[in-house]
Amino acid sequence: MNAVELERISKTFKSVKAVDDLSLSVPEGSIYGFIGPNGSGKTTTLRMIMRIYYPDAGSGAIRILGNDHSAAANDRIGYLPEERGLYRKMKVRDLLKFFLELHGHRRNLSEPIRSWLARLRLSDWADKKVEALSKGMSQRIQFIAAVVHSPRLLILDEPFSGLDPVSTEDLREAILELRRNGATVLFSTHDMHMAEKMCDYVLMIYQGRKVLDGTLESIQARYGADTLRVAVEGNGQSLASLPGVERVADFGRLAELKMRDGTDPQRVLEALIARGRVTHFELTRPTLHDIFVRIARPKE
Amino acid sequence: MTRKTIVIAVREYQAAIRTKTFIVSLILMPVFMGGSIGVQVLLRDKVDTADKRIALVDCTGRLAGAILADAERRNDIGIFQGEGAERKQTQPRFVFESVAPPAETSPDALKALTLELSDRVRKRELFAFAIIPADTISHAASSTAASSPAPPAAIAYHSNSPTYDDVRRWLTSVLTKHTHEARLSDANVDTKLVMNALSPLIVDNLGLVSREVTGEIKAAEKTSELATLFIAFGLLMLMFMVVMISAQPLLQSVLEEKMQRIAEVLIACASPFELMMGKLLGTAGVSLTIVCVYLLGGLFAMERLGVAGLFPKHLIGWFILYQCLAVLMFGSMFSAVGAAVNDLKEAQNLVTPLMLVVIVPLFIWVNVAKEPNVSFSVIASFFPFATPMLMIVRMAVPPGVPAWQPAVGALGVLATTVACVFAAGRVFRIGILMQGKAPKLRELIGWMLRG
Repeated sequence: MNAVELERISKTFKSVKAVDDLSLSVPEGSIYGFIGPNGSGKTTTLRMIMRIYYPDAGSGAIRILGNDHSAAANDRIGYLPEERGLYRKMKVRDLLKFFLELHGHRRNLSEPIRSWLARLRLSDWADKKVEALSKGMSQRIQFIAAVVHSPRLLILDEPFSGLDPVSTEDLREAILELRRNGATVLFSTHDMHMAEKMCDYVLMIYQGRKVLDGTLESIQARYGADTLRVAVEGNGQSLASLPGVERVADFGRLAELKMRDGTDPQRVLEALIARGRVTHFELTRPTLHDIFVRIARPKE
Repeated sequence: MTRKTIVIAVREYQAAIRTKTFIVSLILMPVFMGGSIGVQVLLRDKVDTADKRIALVDCTGRLAGAILADAERRNDIGIFQGEGAERKQTQPRFVFESVAPPAETSPDALKALTLELSDRVRKRELFAFAIIPADTISHAASSTAASSPAPPAAIAYHSNSPTYDDVRRWLTSVLTKHTHEARLSDANVDTKLVMNALSPLIVDNLGLVSREVTGEIKAAEKTSELATLFIAFGLLMLMFMVVMISAQPLLQSVLEEKMQRIAEVLIACASPFELMMGKLLGTAGVSLTIVCVYLLGGLFAMERLGVAGLFPKHLIGWFILYQCLAVLMFGSMFSAVGAAVNDLKEAQNLVTPLMLVVIVPLFIWVNVAKEPNVSFSVIASFFPFATPMLMIVRMAVPPGVPAWQPAVGALGVLATTVACVFAAGRVFRIGILMQGKAPKLRELIGWMLRG
């Protein structure tokens, strides 16, 4: 069963079409990454799934956890918006209790709160006011507020933005544990590296339309092995003029060369050897980052 | 009502009453409102009791003696309060100094004397002086008009303290009495007889006579215009204070949720209508708390003052109903403003017309209280935004209003409240996630109508 199904959904703000005829299916129990440049419609899509925005009249249907889109479904969803805040004057424990009650929980409220605070190393802050927390702590509390009611579907809009490496690692582990316990996770991110490592499925949205959808392997397979990762002693800029090379991404120690269709890597290697000492030569598939840039980079 | 609405209402209530601002407002509001009265009462006895020296130039030669004698009598018995050891002077003594009029009757001589006395006032040797013209007693007799009384004779009272009027008022009364006596005496009329004939009457302010259950006719009770107006004013101000303390902070509360990005998490858990209703009900709870504190405080104070009988117990139920409706009605409008704008500065522009609607009853309540059943009062009290305050004012003033009027008024307010909550819910849903420029009034109305 799919945890989320969107069928030909559109959303227009005045004259701007933020989401255009978008369909997607998030298989239950999966981690589904939602990528796309700023302003591409990611947050609008997530807000439509959360019933914060309604799709345009006449556009298709949204099904959540096997049911038609209804307010009741939201109690089984955990949602962490991109722009988030908390009641600063409330104590952490009271705040989490409030969110638990808001999701329909009435009994045994202390245990999940205690457990999650311990899990994210915030037990000592349970009786402190939110305003006393650091930014990193507040972000972890916000995450707990989204998951404390054990949701079956977790929707996270840029969950890792602004987090330090330790907090990022804490959140990543928590998300994986929620998935192990049966939850479906749908998150948007700009961190392609994180998406590659975590997501079973990736969807890319660009200018409101879906441009990629599937497993990482299937997406990479569509692009084929058209990338060379090379290291050459000498001047890297000269790589741009290699025969059959369409674009060069120079990372300093290594450079990634995008080959034109039909280019023989052996010819490129020969040309490289003629220019200097080659210390690294690898034929590889494009990374998600590279695919993202190829799609989203303005055409020259 | 959904459980989510209750959860939000409880949080809102707790968040409001646990703040220092709430407790301070609860205490300070009546202090500010009743402060001026309280200070006046407290300072009533704290007047300057230093002697007031007054020079009296009696050109008639017949009045000064009686006035000085009256002043002596006043200084001996009229300026004290309490008995025995408790006896305390609460007013200054008026010490009169009789100054002989100028020997010459020319205006210049009188002017010179006036200047001399004015200088003494400037040097603080005197507090004031008065000049009684020579024709004061004969003034009435010289009037030629047969049908109307002669205009009052002008007595010149000079002082450098125009706001202190006690001396002038006392002098007016005493001088009038002795001048009347002198004029009657000159006309060979029995002064005592005339004075008795002209003694003022007292018109008692009474309610209506009614028949008891036993069949006996119950005598009418004395009513007091001031006490009745005070009760009406007290209820009006209490409702106004409650709206200001409880409904207006909704604007800040919604704005805080918007500015601190809490709103999106909340409307992912509850619908905008549930969120709005929860906040409004929490606020209504806050207002009930305030009302209980103030009403119980008022009842306690009135019992201590021995006027508990004036406490309008029969109005409490209506008051609480109207006050809850007023809080919901105005609260929904304040929260819609909070949802529509991005900061307090922008809010001010939209709050000003809203505040005018809230305070209109304060401008017209006196007219309504004086004549509660004339067309103007009835129509004004059926204007839904004014109904809660003005209907209570009308009900507090005898003989009250026909029973159907408060009920119809409440229905009108209820319908308006539902419309306000509905419209505000739409503004709330659209505005709460809106950033950037604040909407214009036309856009706001568009949100309300189209959603």
